[in-house]
This record gives sequence, structure tokens and C-alpha cells, in this order.
Amino acid sequence: MANERSSLSGLTEDEAKEFHGIFVSSFLAFTAVAVVAHILAWVWRPWL
Amino acid sequence: MFKTLQEDMYKVWLIFDPRRALVALFGFLIVLALIIHMLLLSTDRFNWLETSAAPAGAAVSQMAPVAPGPTQ
Repeated sequence: MANERSSLSGLTEDEAKEFHGIFVSSFLAFTAVAVVAHILAWVWRPWL
Repeated sequence: MFKTLQEDMYKVWLIFDPRRALVALFGFLIVLALIIHMLLLSTDRFNWLETSAAPAGAAVSQMAPVAPGPTQ
């Protein structure tokens, strides 16, 4: 079983998958906020 | 090949400890954000606290030319 094998980080395969799901969705939310902020900043004063 | 790569991305968390990775990532993002905000505040055009100067695109025409008055 892969779940019982020890990894470098100490996480199991399932824990890594669970954390990865949270990480990816958080990254997408952060990116969405950043894109909106950049659009607003561009409307205020374009920089190119 | 790329599909496999995408599906296996979670395996980075078998190598990197998520706790340390998150601390490093947040630290990096905070430092980067502070640098960019300070840099923007130090400019005339993008300082959002003192917005009197520099309307978009025209940093030069601060003073409107004085129209000649009626000559008598």
C-alpha cells in the first residue's frame, strides 16, 4: 500500500492529494482577486 | 505525458513539507507585496494617497496655459 509508505515530507498519498486540492483552489482564488485588482488599477492609471 | 504530469502534481507534497512551503510562500508574497506597494507609493503617478498630481497620461500639462485677456 502506498498510503503506508513514508515520504520525505511525512505525508501520505491521500494527505498529499487532500492538501493539493485545497492548495490549488486557494491559488485560483488568490489569482482571481489579483486579476480583478490589476484590472481596477489599469482602469485607474494604465502603466504601459 | 503532460496529462500524467498534471495528475501527479500533488506528489510535490510528498517531497516538500506543506507547513514549511506555506510559510515560505506567504513570506515571499508579503515581502513582494510590500516592495511593490512601497515602490508605487514613491512615484508621483501611482501614489494613491496624494493623487493631486499626474492625471492619467499627462504628467506634463499641470499648468493650463493662460488665455490672453481682452486687449483694449
